Amino acid sequence: MALFRTAEIIKASKLPPEGVKLSRMIDAVYFLPIAYLGVFATFHMHFDLLAGDWDFWVDWKDRQFWVTVTPIVEVMYPGAIMYYFWTFYRQPFGATLSITGLLVGKWITIVFAWYWWANFPANFVMPATMVGSALILDCTLLLTRSWMLTAIFGVWAFAMVFNPTQYALFGYSHQPVVVDGQLLSLADYMGFTFVRTGTPEYIRIIEVGSLRTFGGHTVWISAFFSAFVSMLVFTIWWQVGHFVGQSFFWVKGRRGAMTRMNDKMVCGSDEFAAKHGTPDGVAPGARVTARPAATTIS
Amino acid sequence: MNAKNIFKLCVIGSLGMATLGLPLVFFASPAAAHGERSQEPFLRMRTAQWYDTRWAPQKTSVNDEAMLSGKIHISEDWPRAVTQPRRTFINVGSPSSVFTRTSSKVNGVPMFTSGPLELGGDYEYVIKLRARLPGHHHIHPMLAVNGAGPVAGPGGWMDIAGNYKDFTNPVKLLVGGTVDTETAGMAAGLFWHIVWGTLGFLWIAWFSVRPMFLIRARVLAQEGGDALLNDPVDRVVAYGMLGVCFVLIAIGFFYTDSQYPYTIPLQAGEPKIKATHLKSDLTVKVLAADYDVPGRALRMTLQVTNSGEQPLRIGEFTTAGIRFLNKVGVANNLDPTYPAEIMAQDGLHIEDESPINPGETREVKLDSRDSLWEVQRLMDLVHDPDQRFGGLLMAWDEAGNRHINSISGNIIPVFTRATAG
Repeated sequence: MALFRTAEIIKASKLPPEGVKLSRMIDAVYFLPIAYLGVFATFHMHFDLLAGDWDFWVDWKDRQFWVTVTPIVEVMYPGAIMYYFWTFYRQPFGATLSITGLLVGKWITIVFAWYWWANFPANFVMPATMVGSALILDCTLLLTRSWMLTAIFGVWAFAMVFNPTQYALFGYSHQPVVVDGQLLSLADYMGFTFVRTGTPEYIRIIEVGSLRTFGGHTVWISAFFSAFVSMLVFTIWWQVGHFVGQSFFWVKGRRGAMTRMNDKMVCGSDEFAAKHGTPDGVAPGARVTARPAATTIS
Repeated sequence: MNAKNIFKLCVIGSLGMATLGLPLVFFASPAAAHGERSQEPFLRMRTAQWYDTRWAPQKTSVNDEAMLSGKIHISEDWPRAVTQPRRTFINVGSPSSVFTRTSSKVNGVPMFTSGPLELGGDYEYVIKLRARLPGHHHIHPMLAVNGAGPVAGPGGWMDIAGNYKDFTNPVKLLVGGTVDTETAGMAAGLFWHIVWGTLGFLWIAWFSVRPMFLIRARVLAQEGGDALLNDPVDRVVAYGMLGVCFVLIAIGFFYTDSQYPYTIPLQAGEPKIKATHLKSDLTVKVLAADYDVPGRALRMTLQVTNSGEQPLRIGEFTTAGIRFLNKVGVANNLDPTYPAEIMAQDGLHIEDESPINPGETREVKLDSRDSLWEVQRLMDLVHDPDQRFGGLLMAWDEAGNRHINSISGNIIPVFTRATAG
């Protein structure tokens, strides 16, 4: 017994063998050079512009702003990318693709920009990883098959597990040190010891406001707040994905009425033509002249 | 798009790539300074007034200790266009972290975080450094002012010999043990990135070994396609992956928590630094000042009163980290290690060089003249939106005691030699 339903799916696609082979080539070309590189380049830029410093420096990774800002920003692209991959292909890896893409971009930056060019050690500029959160988000979508339930449960978990996930990477940086009679965390000292000419200490946006009065549970308050905002942001970006990724076209029915068809990537199959008609109103087998059929607007 | 158009685009793209690659062909020399000359003169002259700056020693090897020290006077005549120094940080201007900073004290107070400085206050800073990256480096003290940006102090050259691979920067932990800031936490960070990255790519690979896009889109558009694409094995794997994620997160969190039982949050306080103030027996009032553009000179007419008990001689005028001295200044305050390119040893001229006697009030015509005004781009003063100058005037008594006055005033540019009377 086959592990996957691949044979059934290929059969249902009604593509000839050469069409199947071609579709796999398209998979390879489209996925890696276009989708993956496109996502990692644009998401990396998007993330660095909105939350870059919190992710660049170990002495910015506080229990308030870092915990709040990072999930909110990191859930944006996955929202749109998940919409696209799920709606059109039922592929549940949009979030993982986005976050691994972001990290590929970040590690290229760490090696070439931070270490090779600017001479900062990698531990000082180590990024957070939200791959675990992304996997949870993708699994939630696959299992619930509902973007709303994904927004409620998956995104909530996406943000809530951020801090415990990162603690394994950055817990060491909160060890106390005493320098010149002053108590600092190791992260503070690293931020002090590695000279950043253009980034003086006051640039840090950390530990501002009165969240600290919540019984010392700042990090969980921040995580809850982040989770709720992330839910909202996810739904907005899901709709952004819908707006950007929608494909619609007009078809002429049997009685000549033009109908707008939304979110259908496939036309041209016999069943589709029998049910909805064709763009030019001509039956597939009867088409003999080259008439402009480009009524698809996307 | 036909083949011809594709060919054209390829040619254009290739030319673009070649253009981007051109800088790699030519030698690109390293930056020798940090743009301090590009800062407006009124900013450099009337905000942070640097003096007694020392870079010691100027030659070190990797891991050696060095010190950047000096004094900074916060001008009373702080420009209106510049945000006041309510949140500042004494920083080091260097090409990356060529030195690590191990200690920084301002008037004896550790300055790990930013804090306010007082207008008219005088501060002595001592920054301890540890040589990290070999090379010939231009190092500045720097006052970073929130809202105004960094104000660079004078730059001096420091050489580091040796090999970066030998560098260590150990720091003692409060709970015992020592860590190296170059490598602390590196192994854990890399480990978890590799673990999560591997899981992420495996998840994507699980779906990419099967037809990914076109075929699924065609099936999805059909009646019952959605159910067909809902492969039971994927659901089993998703449940498994969810479990793996939560277990890994829990393991990572609780293991790290057991490794580091004593932790503290990032520190965000501010140092409270008490200012000292300049001491001088002289009282100086700027009566007039003009800037001789072609002659590259700042000419001042000052009313000077000596209220002390000893005769005083003016020996130095320093502004924007650039020093103009006469014989008196050279005799009393010549630091041979001070960078020659920002010091004019014969740059200060006084019409009447006789000492200012106790109780005497005198009108002094002072002329600080040197090509440094041009080289250091202070002649751009004429283009500033705030036509005032500032600086420190230094005088000495016979016992060698220094008297420093911060002076400032309006300045009138003189554009031609004909009018430069």
